Amino acid sequence: MVSKKLTIVNAQGFHMRPASTFATAMAKYSSDVVIKHNGADVNAKSLMNIIAACIKCGHEVEIVAEGADEQAALDEAVKMIEDGFGE
Amino acid sequence: MLKGIAASEGIGIGKVMIIEDNTLEYTPKTVSDTDAELQRFRNAVDAFCDETMEQAESVKKTAGEKEAEILMGHIYMMKDPGMVGSMEAQITGGQCAEAALEQVCDMFIEAFSSTGDEVTAQRAADVKDIKTAILSILLGVKTVKISEAPAGTVIVAKEVTPSMTAGINKDKIVGIITETGSQTSHSAILARALEIPAVLSVENCTTTLSSGEQVIADGSDGIVITAPSEEQINEYTTKRDAFLREKRELENYRGKKTLSASGEEYELFCNIGTPKDATKAMEADGEGVGLFRTEFLFMDRNALPTEDEQFEAYKQAALILKGKGLIIRTLDIGGDKEIPYLGLEKEENPFMGFRAIRYCLKNRDLFKSQLKAILRASAFGDIRIMFPLITAVEELREGKALVEEAKSDLRASGIEFDENIKIGVMTETAASGVIAHLLAKESDFFSIGTNDLTGYTMAADRGNGDVAYLYSPFQPSVLMMIKRIINCANEAGIPVGMCGEAAANPMMIPLLISFGLTEFSVSAPSVLKVRKNIAKWTKAEADKVAGDVMNMATEKEIVDYLKNII
Repeated sequence: MVSKKLTIVNAQGFHMRPASTFATAMAKYSSDVVIKHNGADVNAKSLMNIIAACIKCGHEVEIVAEGADEQAALDEAVKMIEDGFGE
Repeated sequence: MLKGIAASEGIGIGKVMIIEDNTLEYTPKTVSDTDAELQRFRNAVDAFCDETMEQAESVKKTAGEKEAEILMGHIYMMKDPGMVGSMEAQITGGQCAEAALEQVCDMFIEAFSSTGDEVTAQRAADVKDIKTAILSILLGVKTVKISEAPAGTVIVAKEVTPSMTAGINKDKIVGIITETGSQTSHSAILARALEIPAVLSVENCTTTLSSGEQVIADGSDGIVITAPSEEQINEYTTKRDAFLREKRELENYRGKKTLSASGEEYELFCNIGTPKDATKAMEADGEGVGLFRTEFLFMDRNALPTEDEQFEAYKQAALILKGKGLIIRTLDIGGDKEIPYLGLEKEENPFMGFRAIRYCLKNRDLFKSQLKAILRASAFGDIRIMFPLITAVEELREGKALVEEAKSDLRASGIEFDENIKIGVMTETAASGVIAHLLAKESDFFSIGTNDLTGYTMAADRGNGDVAYLYSPFQPSVLMMIKRIINCANEAGIPVGMCGEAAANPMMIPLLISFGLTEFSVSAPSVLKVRKNIAKWTKAEADKVAGDVMNMATEKEIVDYLKNII
């Protein structure tokens, strides 16, 4: 299992577009990927669950990946969040 | 007359078409042939995706990329394992397709609505839209075709859903009236994108109005006139034509320089409150940002924003502006704002108390982290720093010294920034007006904040009905103050802008041209209007007006005179 704590930097947080690209990107890994936010575990492969989690700019999250390709999944997740989803 | 929210400017005169919610009733049942039910469900989902894709394509042409993206989002949402996966699991368990769809959708609608976050709550409307669309397919219910509406139709609905968007033809639909919605709801954004007048939040409009009746939808004032008289129709037709004429005329000023009739060039900037507003400023054809209020970073939260967080926000605005000027005003707060973590005490008179630059100079860590964040962002655009509420030269000097400290910290850490960053004063107090000649010697620019300057000069609170009559930028004292500030800046050879509401006032514009203002900073929707108003005046004509006005003794005389000449 690998994990990393991060702060959301893009102004709009995980709104529709970032949530959708993020979930799509995570879906290609076989590992389980979870966003820990506000004490809840959010399935990183589900756009709907990410939106329901209401993750905003400045919020702290922890990405946890577990499985065969966990490091690759974590690396991509971290890069996307740190880049503010290119926004 | 029905009242609502003015959500999209303009006037629509036409015949009502009520878009009713179809009754999508069914009897939930358990199914034994789950494979067949699953197939029926999948066919409906496929049909939904095809239909939505088609709609997105047509919307892209009428309302633009963003609207199309919302519709494409419906497909992504539906294909999410949390949606289609959960629904299929329920069907495999023996539920009928309708019930499975409804249950899962309702769960997300509830989850999104209960977050209390406006953006997330809007996504609930998307899920509702998906639910209605797929239920209609499953039940074989035909929906009312907006696309078949005749020319001169005013759509009346509970709300305008993204999937309705596709059918809206700008040439046929002249107005939109809805029961729900606000300035920022999807219906409003859509109406503005399509440039269709819209009045939202009109209570019970789908039942009080009936299809075929004539109405006037006034999206500028937020009213609906039912059973209009011939006189009203004539009046509003004139209003509508004038509105459209002005809009077309204003479009002629898009992409042009801001010039007076005698050829003097001015900078025309926008006032913004968040990085996102910078996009609006650009869309409105602003030439830069003359006032970026930074309070949003500090409000509605439990702890100070970090330097990194501030840096990201300033950098974001700078990147959006692509090298155009960006004047960032340092924190302007005081005891009138509820920011619990700052420990600001309630004061008897917060506007004359411990606020803005005074507070920042006493809370140097907080101030320095903001200055460092601004400096770091200055590597990404033409950023300038502005101090609010300056009343004495020492405050400017102390603030500048702190900027120097912040610079050497950054140099020591090898972080890039603009070494020659400009530092200016927001001249908004009577004191700063009187000592403008002293401040001008040590300042890179001035920006006149007329809202506070008027209040402080007249010692009148505009929120207090008993003294509000004194609160006017056309008071001779305030005009003298403005003239003096501009003169002092001109003599020192530094730029001088105005970021208060008065900068967009057509009566103020000739005076500012005559006094020698160099930059106007206004709200995004005012940009083209101000450019047009500036183009009306030659310097010589403006000088004549200013000469007359500055010889008048009362505000009433001045306002009457200016009303007459514009």
